[in-house]
Amino acid sequence: MKKYWVQTLAGISMCALLAGGCTNKGVKKEDALASGVTSESSDAEIARAAKAKADAEARLREEAEAKKRAAAEAKPVEIVPATDVTDSRREALNSAIAPVTIGNLFETVYFDYDKSELRQDSRDVLAKNAEKILKSYADAKIIVEGHCDERGSAEYNLALGERRAKAAQKYLTTLNVKAANLSIVSYGKEKPAVSGNDEAAWAKNRRAELAVIK
Amino acid sequence: MKLLCLLFFLLILPVTLSAQSGAIEVTAPGNRFLKLAVDAPRCTDALANPATAKLAVDVLVNDMNMSGLFSAEGRATPAASREQLLADFNYTPWVTAGFDMLVKGEYSLKSGGLTVEYRLYDIINRKMVTAQRYHGSTKDIRRFSHQFADEILRVITGEKGIFTTKIAYVASHTGNKEIYVMDWDGGNPLPLTKNGSINMNPDFSPDGRDVIFSSYKRGNPDMYRRSLSNSSETLISNRKGLNITGNWSPDGGSIALALSKDGDAEIYTIDREGGHPVRLTKSPALDLYPAWSPDGKRIAFVSDRLGKPQIFIMNSDGSGVKRLTTSGNYNVNPRWSPKGDKIVFSRLSGSGFNIITISPDGSGESQLTADGNNENPSWSGDGRFICFSSKRGGGDGIYVMRADGSGQMKVSQSKGKYFQPVWSRR
Repeated sequence: MKKYWVQTLAGISMCALLAGGCTNKGVKKEDALASGVTSESSDAEIARAAKAKADAEARLREEAEAKKRAAAEAKPVEIVPATDVTDSRREALNSAIAPVTIGNLFETVYFDYDKSELRQDSRDVLAKNAEKILKSYADAKIIVEGHCDERGSAEYNLALGERRAKAAQKYLTTLNVKAANLSIVSYGKEKPAVSGNDEAAWAKNRRAELAVIK
Repeated sequence: MKLLCLLFFLLILPVTLSAQSGAIEVTAPGNRFLKLAVDAPRCTDALANPATAKLAVDVLVNDMNMSGLFSAEGRATPAASREQLLADFNYTPWVTAGFDMLVKGEYSLKSGGLTVEYRLYDIINRKMVTAQRYHGSTKDIRRFSHQFADEILRVITGEKGIFTTKIAYVASHTGNKEIYVMDWDGGNPLPLTKNGSINMNPDFSPDGRDVIFSSYKRGNPDMYRRSLSNSSETLISNRKGLNITGNWSPDGGSIALALSKDGDAEIYTIDREGGHPVRLTKSPALDLYPAWSPDGKRIAFVSDRLGKPQIFIMNSDGSGVKRLTTSGNYNVNPRWSPKGDKIVFSRLSGSGFNIITISPDGSGESQLTADGNNENPSWSGDGRFICFSSKRGGGDGIYVMRADGSGQMKVSQSKGKYFQPVWSRR
């Protein structure tokens, strides 16, 4: 759209330029007549010819540029699709860059809808988890994963899941788990624990899980 | 015959070149759609391929019907004599049949290539309006029809159509959430990622050559940039916590996004390489999903600073925050129209998510969808259309509609779950 206008404007200004040139010529001629000069000087003629030539060249240049712009615009982007990766290769690739975790070692903490405050039962579960960490995983790196139910937007749930993970992380540190060993990640509603579209399923999906990083 | 063809092109091509840009006056009485016939292109050599010709017509007819300006129908080639293609082309049958405009064309499949020429005729004023020739291979036939559709819009409205633009989106039929790109009408779907992880929220650079997205492929939701013409990905933001909901600035120089490195999700801008982070919001609430205004001076975003997610607008330096949405208690996914006059978003209510447009001053709210769950709207580059994801009775997928909500059409072609479509600017 912008380019199109630029082209149109360029066209208009070119016309204006040419029209202006014509008017100037007219004025010059009148001036010459008024001053009693009957024959045009060859200098003026040469200058006019040179100007006409320059104008024509400028117009050609402008046209060529407009054509070039149009060609560049018309040229489609050649899309290179993602290459196929075998499952084993992908596993190797991903394990090289993404941390591998061991889940199912700790109890899951649950939350109320659209909330990240810890309920009393959640605090109790976290206290049990903290005890287990201090006893058996005192030096392990532990990641707290925050999750949401399927309701609401995917993006808002990413932020909400992070709040839940943070709430659990903070409580664990108050129970003497080393802050340096704890990290968090939010999966929003991307990794539900159970499928289903009712409160029973939603309640199981609004959660924070603890996992040990290998 | 060859001489005739040559003569034909000699006659037609200068007309094409002299066709000046600008809107032409084509008014249909009673403000109805212009009636357009799209004639099957005629093969000029012995290698006729009816399937190619049919596809050419179908694609063009679909584009024209979606435009909101035409009521288009494909027509089998009438048993016309050769002469009717030439300068003395007979308009009368088309006038009698009640058409305002007609697209005719020719194609040739010589030596493995495809050459197509389309011509648009104004039936009422009995003149050719524009003509274009395209060279390529048979796989380009869809693109050629889209290109001529863009050209038709250009001569009718003064603004080129968007039918050659792309929609990027997320789909999960592989079991993972991968990013894909397709033509606006669902043609030519291609995967942009195949990393087996969760990939989210693609957004095109303004020149349509790069896509940013967030991915868990390294464990954390980090942001990547991928050129469409090169399958390698560049990590541009792996700051601690969330690196999500990126939106490219209109000048392409910076990216607004949500980062949680300093606590909870806040809006920042970074440059296209991910450097020079500038924090724009400072609130104990969640701030995310920034959306630039087309002049780059303002940013709309989602915040739950008043309890529930609502849409706010601020200056692009973070000053002058104002609440935009005052109805509904869950408004998300803002996107600013390319002309700047509207903001589209989705609202969650008892009946699910619906797409709504509103003026940037908060007036003139208009609900565009009513069926099922409709999320993540995105404008076409000319502001005439909106794409969005929908779960509805008529089938889940990526849908496209006109900016007034009319003409809702599913464009994704395979079954499965689709998310977060985004329309390329060009």
